[in-house]
This record gives sequence, structure tokens and C-alpha cells, in this order.
Amino acid sequence: MSVRVRQIQALARLAVLELYRRKDLIVVFVLSAVVLLPLALLTPFGVAGAGRYMNEMALLLVWLFSLVIGLGVSARLFPPEFESRTIYPMLAKPVARGTILVGKYLGALAASVSALTVFYLAYGFMVGARQGVWFPAVFVQAFILHIGFLVVVTALGLAGSLLLTPSANLTMCGLSVIGMLFFGQRLPSLAAAQPLPGRMVLTLIHWFGPHVEFFDLRQRVVHEWPAIGWGVCGVVLVYAAGYAAVCLAVASLAFRNKRF
Amino acid sequence: MNRQRLQTGLWAAVAGLVVALGQAIPYCLEGRLPQAPGEDVLALVLGDARLGVSRTLAEKAEEYFHGGVRHLNCTMQSDAETVAHEGHDDHDAGAHAAGHADHDDDHDHAAAIPAGRDPWQWIDGRVHEQAHRHLKGVQTVELLPWFWAATRMSPKNVQAYESAAYVLSYSLEKPEEGVRLLEEGIRNNPASPQLDFFLGEVLFNRLHDAARAEPCFSATREKCLRIPSDHAKAEDLSLLRLKAVFYLGYIAKQRGDLGRVRACLAEAEALAPKHEVTHDLRVLLETSGTKQ
Repeated sequence: MSVRVRQIQALARLAVLELYRRKDLIVVFVLSAVVLLPLALLTPFGVAGAGRYMNEMALLLVWLFSLVIGLGVSARLFPPEFESRTIYPMLAKPVARGTILVGKYLGALAASVSALTVFYLAYGFMVGARQGVWFPAVFVQAFILHIGFLVVVTALGLAGSLLLTPSANLTMCGLSVIGMLFFGQRLPSLAAAQPLPGRMVLTLIHWFGPHVEFFDLRQRVVHEWPAIGWGVCGVVLVYAAGYAAVCLAVASLAFRNKRF
Repeated sequence: MNRQRLQTGLWAAVAGLVVALGQAIPYCLEGRLPQAPGEDVLALVLGDARLGVSRTLAEKAEEYFHGGVRHLNCTMQSDAETVAHEGHDDHDAGAHAAGHADHDDDHDHAAAIPAGRDPWQWIDGRVHEQAHRHLKGVQTVELLPWFWAATRMSPKNVQAYESAAYVLSYSLEKPEEGVRLLEEGIRNNPASPQLDFFLGEVLFNRLHDAARAEPCFSATREKCLRIPSDHAKAEDLSLLRLKAVFYLGYIAKQRGDLGRVRACLAEAEALAPKHEVTHDLRVLLETSGTKQ
């Protein structure tokens, strides 16, 4: 058991190191600064004091970059190994395929969550310094649920990387995640308004698609709504864990049956 | 080496051709494009799409006004009218001419949580349960960045100018800034009577400057007469003209010019004899006559 844990740890550490070696985070921070600094200096119609638009833009960037990092890291775990054939020495070692999969998944998740933590800390300090509100409960919930979002997205990216080509995987995952963020909430009403074939497709998407909009508490944070119940928070995290488990099961099946 | 030079030369020629074409298009196709020569880059690239984007930005401001709640039936304008009623007891004219909004100022109702057996909707309802709370007073400063973006995106967005000026003049108690913005809006939309009317209201109700307000109401009246309107617009324009006529009558009454008040009443009766505004104008004339 401890051997397996050590193997998973080693694989996960590699994925985290890979993220920081590529210096993605620095690029992301520079981009954020380029977008947010001019906005911070804005005084519309000569009147200062507005802050919510900044918070909204900052959170939008956090979501965008976390999606890019989460998908990017998870989708690039296996394809380079297959291309450079470094997967062979790894498989030749006494490491089970399931262990490789879980190790790589946890590595991608840890890398994404570490980047997310940096983003949220930066956001928390920015809001605290501007508005004097330091890490309220709804902010903590937003961060926790955002981790749930990454749990789903990295699992989805990993499963896709074993089933599709890298570009197809990124396109499909990106489209489905962004599509669900925009339309996930309205899928039942959209389905009801469609004729039969369309209705069936939308209903299937509603039941089996990744409902990533559950993890999005941006409106609550920006408009200072009260925190949601912790029970609801728990239910959403259970959903994330369940969805990720299904994705990993599919990935495991694909990896086990993969012919190299 | 020669080949490389040739390639560089070709690229430079192509770049020059592209720039020349870009410069020539607005002049060659003048009148056939939504963009006009000499407009800024944003106008050239986006054309009429600017107004669409601008409206989306103004909708975002509306969403902020409702504390982040989307897709509601009540609008900021209806609330604007309510506040105009509340805030100007000393100026009956503002209250009467603004119309009688039946809109409660605050809403404690929350967006409904979807019921049923769908677990996804159950979760979504709990996570995105919305508390509908209007921004009030200085909090409305949060709307300004979106209105600013909306007016910069398209100077033809009259509604954005009007709403931003309302926030500045009424909620933030900065009527001078509101007046400046409305004047800018009128410069950009010289044919639109709404901005003249609102400028007149701000000058009259907030700055108590009847002398500057009167020409605005006159301009509103004239522009309403000039606009060729379809059936849908005719009613709005008629109401706007009626309100402008009321203000003109009210200001004339303050001056003691009863002849002008009578002329305004005659115009109002011709427009909408049974409307409340006409009734108020009639009462105004009667009370002035009694006092005289």
C-alpha cells in the first residue's frame, strides 16, 4: 500500500514540477496585470469608488486561467509520453496502469489547485486592500467549489486525452465546459422549447454533461450575497467527486485497452 | 540572398497594398457601409455591432442595479421614476410629469428555486438562489463603469446616457456631472428628444434652474414633432411631448404667463385629453386663475 502511495506521490510531483517549469503562471500573472491595471485606474465620468466591476473582471480572469491551466495540464499528461515513447520504460516498471493514471491525475489536480490558490490569494488581498473585507465566508466557499470545478475539469481532460487526439480533446473539453457555464442552468427550459430530436439531445446533455456551473459562485462573491449552506457546498463537492470518478473509470478502461 | 530580398520586398508591397486598400475602402464604398470615413478604429471594425455590444453593457449595469440578479421585469427606469417621486416633494412638476409608477422601491423576493425531482436543478437552485436587492444611494456608483463603457462603445445608445445621467444626478447627487453627460449625449444624438427632456428635468428638479430647463423642454417638443414615427413609437413620442408641454406650462405659470399656460393646456388636450398630465395642467391653470 505504502509503495503505491509513494509511486502516486512521485508521479504527482512530476506533474506539478512540469507546470512550474513551463512558467505558465508568470505568463498568466502578466496577462492579468495588463488587463486589470488600466481597469483599476478607471474613474468613469470622473467619479471614483466603483469596485465590483474590477472584482468581476478579476474573477472572470481567474476562471478563464484556471480552466486553461487545468485543461492544459491534464490534456498534456499522456500524449507527450506516447509521442516520445517514454511511456514504455514507465510501463516496464512494476507500476500498475491504474497507479500511473491516478498519480498523473492527482499531479494535474495538485498543479491546477496550487495555481488556483495563488490566484485566489492575489484576488483576496486585492479586494481586502481595496474594500477592507478580508476573506469572507462566501469567498472561502467560492474557492472550495472552484477546486471542485478543477476536480471535474482535470478528470475530463485526462479521460479525453486517452480517447481523442490532443487538439480534439482540448476543443471538446473547452467547448463543453464553456457551454455548460453559459447554458447549463437553462438546459431544461431550452430542451422544453425544442422539437423532439433537439429536445432529446439537450435532455441527455442536461443529465450526463458536466454541470460546471454548480461551482460558479462569482455572482455571490461580486455582489456580496450571503454564503450558501455548507450542506449544499458538500453536495456539490460530492457531485464533483462522483463525476471525476466516472471520468477516471472511463480513462482507466481506455488506458487498460490501449495498444501502443 | 537575392531570394530573401525579393521575399522581403514582396511582403512590404503586400503590406502597403493592404494599408492602401484599408484606407480606400471607406471612400470607395461611401454610403454603402455602416461605417463613415474618419471614424475611430472601433467604429470601423465593429460598425453597427457597437450598438448591440453597448446595449449588452447597459444590461449589465441593469443587472448590477438589481444586485446581480438577471432577467427581471422591473427596470431601473421604473425605479428612477419612483425615486423622482420621492425626492422632489417641493417640485410637484417632477412628480406629475414623470408619470405614476406603481413599482415598489425594494424587492425582497428571491428568484424562485426550481422545484421538481431533477437533482441538478435542485443543486442549481440552492447554489444560484438569488437575493434581489437594489443598489441604493452611493452604492449605485457600481453601475457607472458599465454605463461608461456602454456610452464609449456606442455614442448612439441614448438609454445608456439617460440611465447614467440618472445615477449621477439623482442617486449620487452630482447633477452637474449628469448635465455634462446629457449635453454630450445630445451632441452625439441631436435628433433624440429623450435626452433633451431628461436634461430639462435634471436642470429643473435637481438644479432648480427653470431658465436653462425651459429651452430643453421646448427642444423636446420640437424634436417630437419633427420625428417621423411609426405606430409603435407614436405613443411614446406623444407622451414625451405631453410631459414636455406640462413642464413648459408649469414654468410659464411660475413666470405668471397665463396665456402661455393656456396654450400649453390646449396642446395637451389635443394630444391626450384624458391623460393625468393634462388633468394636472388643467388644475394648474384653474388654481392660477383662482389666485389671480
